[in-house]
Parts: sequence; structure tokens; C-alpha cells
Amino acid sequence: MEDVQVVAMLVRRCIAGDATAWEEIVQTYNRRIYNICYRFAGTSDDAQDLTQEVFIKMYRTLSSYDASKGAFVTWVTTITRNLLVDHFRKTKQDRMTDSMDSTASDHEDAQPLSEQIPDQSAPPDARVRQRELSDTVHQALGKLSPELREAVILRDLQDMDYKDIASVLRVPEGTVKSRINRGRAELGRLLQRTYRQVM
Amino acid sequence: MPDRTKNDHTSNGMQCNEFDLLLSDALDGVLSGTVLDRFQTHARICKTCGPLLAEAEAGRTWLKGLTEVEPPASLVSNILASTTGVDTQRLRTMTRAPQPRISWWEHAQASYLEPMWAIVRQPRFAMSFGMAFFALSVSLTVAGVKPSDLGQISLRPSAIRRTYYNTQARVVRYVDNVRPVLEVQAALRGIKRNMNPAEPGPAKQKERKNDTTQQPEQKQDRNYSQTGEKLILASDPLGPSNRDLPVVSVTTYRRFV
Ligand SMILES: [Zn+2]
Repeated sequence: MEDVQVVAMLVRRCIAGDATAWEEIVQTYNRRIYNICYRFAGTSDDAQDLTQEVFIKMYRTLSSYDASKGAFVTWVTTITRNLLVDHFRKTKQDRMTDSMDSTASDHEDAQPLSEQIPDQSAPPDARVRQRELSDTVHQALGKLSPELREAVILRDLQDMDYKDIASVLRVPEGTVKSRINRGRAELGRLLQRTYRQVM
Repeated sequence: MPDRTKNDHTSNGMQCNEFDLLLSDALDGVLSGTVLDRFQTHARICKTCGPLLAEAEAGRTWLKGLTEVEPPASLVSNILASTTGVDTQRLRTMTRAPQPRISWWEHAQASYLEPMWAIVRQPRFAMSFGMAFFALSVSLTVAGVKPSDLGQISLRPSAIRRTYYNTQARVVRYVDNVRPVLEVQAALRGIKRNMNPAEPGPAKQKERKNDTTQQPEQKQDRNYSQTGEKLILASDPLGPSNRDLPVVSVTTYRRFV
């Protein structure tokens, strides 16, 4: 995906204070980071905040990147993942407080997935249907445990190889594969159940 | 979930855990020959692995159908503003446009005063400046300085010396006046100490587990559970307590243009 020499040069220029080099890094990686954050955190607002936090962290720690230890994209993904863990742990606290404050009926999560998905009797416009389908899969992804969710996001949405995922998650490759299997199967089960109920 | 190790089917020479290890490779289409044959046979005869293969395949297909989403148009400029503090887009338009001649004062205003004023205008700094001004005015009032006096200050050495001795005399008188009060307070403290046992010192701050924010990224080992001892694979809303959260405090701009 990346030319090691080009990226190394870009990082060096950036550390030397070249603002255009930093802008190039931001332009190259913002889409990828935003997508990982969006699929993991679930909302565009959270994804925007998290993406900015990732770049702030990158900007502050750029000099600690060591090209001999791995690709820049793996380093960037590791920063992203670490911030997602922090975000999850922080919002988990909020969710626990919320669940104590609100009743189950006014909580979106309390609804079964089949009731959350859009009405299937809507006009059978292919694009509308495609969007509804994407929304349903996106919602189902949010139901997976964070360990399974991050594994399938990195593999199936970001096309990373198992070795790099293992490096980002700091677990053995066998564990990565097992989580991917379970994540996919869990998602398959969730969506199968949803569509069986609706159709 | 069924215990896969006890559910092994060895009749075709493959066990469930081996099947699990090969599952992702099978879906990637990289299995071939006898391994693929054994894998397929196991999927047909095993009541656990057969459905697992079908579900994993379905899940993968759903995921592959998800397309990339477009980040908001303002994201890049917001990132640049929150990192370098420079809106490069605006900068580029400025450098392209012909620059009118400006005086040194306008230049100084634009380069130094405006950025400083922008910082001062931020609520937290404004608050700090307000507090500093308040503290200064309180100190001056306590020291007996009136704003009207400031205009009459004489900076001649003899006048400064006179002001110094006057102020010193005032401080000595003040200390003499409050001495009885201080003595009473000290006596009260002594009585209190004799009545209560020694108070404990400030509690040593509990070491944060799982907080690795200060380490280099590649050495950080984080997981979603708070205890750092064992992975919690399901998001249990009633999971272990998580009071020691790392707080990420950064300024992000969402509606910055
Ligand atoms: Zn089996």
C-alpha cells in the first residue's frame, strides 16, 4: 500500500517542520482513519472527534515512528486502535450511567435489531435499499463485542493481512483468525435472524 | 457456545480446533488439495462447524458489501487547525492573492497581537486573566494602595525610601495587631491535636492499571476490559468497575470551516 521510502521521507520532512508534508500525511490517511473510527464507534460525530484525536496524537509522537519496526500504516492503525480502546472504556462508563438513568423503552439499544431496521415495504428503489442494507449491517456491527468488531473491521473493511492485524492488536495470529471467524459468524447470525423476522 | 474441544470429529482426520484455524484461510480461498477436502468433509459431518462455516461466510459477505464512507468535507481543515493550528486552505488563498502594502503597525498587529488576542479571548484564558486581575486588585487593596495614589507616586530616591519605611511601619503595626489572634488560633490547634489521634498523610495515588498512554504506541498493550488481567470478549454492561479511566483531553473542532 505504501512506498516505504516515500513515507520515510515524508515523516522526516514533517519532523523537520515542513507543514506541507504534514498536510500530505493528513490527506493520505484521514479517510482510512475516519472509516475505522466510524465503523467502530458507530456515529459520524464520534468518528470526527476520534479521527482528530488520532492525528493530534500522531503529530505529537511522529518522531517515535520507527520504520524498521513496521509500515507507517500499521503504526497509524495502532494509534487509532489504542484511542478506540480508550474511547470505548470512557463511553462504557457513560453507557453504564445512562442505563441507570433511563428506562429500557426509551433506549435505542433496547429494541431488537429487526425493529430498528427501516421498513422493508418502502419503494423498492435499488439505491435506497442498498443504503438501508448498509445501515442494517452497520448497526449489527455495533452489536459485536469490541474485540470481535475491531478484528473484522481491520480484516474485511480495511483488508489488512493477519500479521499486521496481530501487530496492531498485540495478539497472536491464531487469536486474530479466531476472532475474525467468531465476529463474522456472530454478524451472520444477527443478520440472518433480522431478515428472517422481517421477510 | 459448545465446547469445541469435546466436539471433535476425528473420523476424517480433522478436529474442530483445526477446522477453526483453517476457516479464515478457507474463506480467503487459499486452501487446496487434501487440506481443502478434509476441511469440506468436516464441514459436512460436524454439527458445530458446518453451521459455523455458513454463518461466517454470510457475515463476511455482509461486511464486504459495506462501502467506505466519505469523511465530512471539513475534516482535513479541522485536523490541520487542531494540529499545526494553521488553516492551510485559507493560507494558500492568501498567498495567491496580491498582497496590499501594509504599515509596520498593521503587520505587527496581524503577526503578533491578533494571535495573542485570539488566545486571550479563549474562555479559559479570559477566566485566568480575570482571576489574576482580581488577585492583584485584592493584594493592592490589602497593601493600602489606592488607584488615585498611583498618579502621585514620586520616583525620587528619597521619596522611595520614605515610602519603604512607611510601608514597613504599617506591616509591623499589622503584625502586632493580629498577634493575639494568631496566639489564640495556635492554642486551639494544640488542644485539637491532643484530642484527635494523628491525621493520616495524603493518600498515595493509586497506580493506574491498563493506562499506557505515555508509552510509545508500539509498546502499548491495551484491551477493552478495565482490569488488564483477562480479556472480556462480550461487552457486558455490568462488567468490572472502571473508575480509573485514562482521560484524553484534546481540543477538536467539529464545525470549524
Ligand atoms: Zn467440528
